[in-house]
Amino acid sequence: MSSTLADTAREPRSDATPAATRSRGEVLLTLVRRELWEHRALWIAPLCVAGLLALGTALGRVHIDLDDAERLGSSPYALLTIVQFVLAIPLYAVALCVGSYYLLDCLYAERKDRSILFWKSLPVSDGLTVGAKLLVGLVILPFGVFALALVAQPVYTAILETRVAVGRLPGILNWSAGEWLRTEAVMFLVTLFGVLWWAPIAAYLMLVSAWVRRAPILWATLPFVLGPLLEWVAFGTRYLLGFINYRVNGIWDILGVEHANIVTKHGLHPVGTALEVLDFRGALTAIDLWLGLAATAALVYAAIRIRRYRDDT
Amino acid sequence: MTAVIEAHGLTKSYGATRALDGVTFSVEPGRIVGLIGPNGAGKTTALKAILGLTPFSGELRVLGRDPRTERDALMREVCFIADVAVLPRWMRVTQALDFVAGVHPRFDRAIAEDFLKKTDIRMSSRVRELSKGMVTQLHLALVLAIDARLLVLDEPTLGLDLLYRRNFYDTLLNDYFDKERTILLTTHQVEEVENLFTDVIFINHGRVALCAAVEDLSSRYQQLTLATEQAAHARELQPFYEREIFGRVAMYFEGRTAAELGAFGELRTPSIADLFVAKMQGTGSR
Repeated sequence: MSSTLADTAREPRSDATPAATRSRGEVLLTLVRRELWEHRALWIAPLCVAGLLALGTALGRVHIDLDDAERLGSSPYALLTIVQFVLAIPLYAVALCVGSYYLLDCLYAERKDRSILFWKSLPVSDGLTVGAKLLVGLVILPFGVFALALVAQPVYTAILETRVAVGRLPGILNWSAGEWLRTEAVMFLVTLFGVLWWAPIAAYLMLVSAWVRRAPILWATLPFVLGPLLEWVAFGTRYLLGFINYRVNGIWDILGVEHANIVTKHGLHPVGTALEVLDFRGALTAIDLWLGLAATAALVYAAIRIRRYRDDT
Repeated sequence: MTAVIEAHGLTKSYGATRALDGVTFSVEPGRIVGLIGPNGAGKTTALKAILGLTPFSGELRVLGRDPRTERDALMREVCFIADVAVLPRWMRVTQALDFVAGVHPRFDRAIAEDFLKKTDIRMSSRVRELSKGMVTQLHLALVLAIDARLLVLDEPTLGLDLLYRRNFYDTLLNDYFDKERTILLTTHQVEEVENLFTDVIFINHGRVALCAAVEDLSSRYQQLTLATEQAAHARELQPFYEREIFGRVAMYFEGRTAAELGAFGELRTPSIADLFVAKMQGTGSR
């Protein structure tokens, strides 16, 4: 009989004694793994591009004008570092694409497939969940791509050296561990400042992802199109467009990229020379960088608050 | 004994609609409580309030905690299965185990694996490759392995065939329920699980229509089946609901004794399903 169920219920289990706690680090690591399980494009796409680049260096045609070859004389290691730098660009480009899509999708997808009810049935705070997603989009992906480039570039160099050895290419790539490391240092610092500068854009994408009920791509881009358009129609000014342009490209001005003359008509210079030219100290103390980080904190906080009472509806 | 859930004056509106309108009830430990109501009655809103998934006004303590401010701590001791399978479709079975093991301090992976061995679910399968019944089994495996004090189930067997439904509830009773655990369950299939309940809460139009232990229902409610010609006399005792069955009349009374009603016809305690219909459609409903 139903009325006797409670009376006949078993005594509580006493043998099952799982670990009493999970540290925040343990939980965060699990949350990050879960993001990489779900959004496999985050690591598959850069790996595919790295593979294609390896194929390209092995089979691609290399065309060097005599004029260029003469200019190589200005620095024996310049071409090595430029090849190293240029081959990393496609990896960063694909990371930018998959990363932007990921940030815009990560808090929306869990409501779309209703899995938010499962995630929320577990003892994980909204802060930690949103934090893990931001960590993946803003730290693990860009620095993961940096690490991938770090590993891939010696492979590309080895492939090119092999082609030189079998006489298919002129021997113009001179290996220098020091120059190679200096180029990596430039790439690391540019990655770091790129992440810090674009953090508010990443947080904005997450906020849209947490907020909208449908069409996150549309809602994310609409303000950037309509805002400047309306301003121009109403006032004939372009302040908003200028501001958006500044928040996207301003870091290059702050770093003084225009002074880093790697390729000039007088010759090629190693990428590592940018270490002396780029104003990293100035960028670190730029008020706009820190204002952007403050805006990031505010936007992330808003995304956490919005997710707090979001369900599958 | 401290109540597992204590709700007082829970109110929640969606625009002009009051989903919860001063809901008050309490749930003791070691009980299996059926939260029963028609569509749109406020059942799911009440569950979401208990789980800290929606803001509300009024007082609510779940395991002594306020779900609005202490949700994360609360979810260490509360498990939840939503109305349909909400496990992420991209996830593999092993990933589901890894994930819950990685975030839940009270999860015992061996229990979940032992349960899954008894099913046809392969560890390498993705959720999207499983049938709906299997997804529910997987979710149940995860929940059984969590040493929680309160299990909230919102239409957990909706869309499953009879075998899966029966297995689901048998497993809950045999492998999960004990004297310190409480199960709060909403379902449309009341007839199928009414023998499971120790307590029922009827909810309609956001209000509690009945909150009682099943063992108390027999002393509170009577169903009188009598010939049509006797009905007029019996009606004087103010049944709150009546209906015709094969040329006879079934009347439902609250607070009447067998001595008052026995002379009119056949007397029995109404089933929970009958009582639910009577309460929802009778004079006490809106």
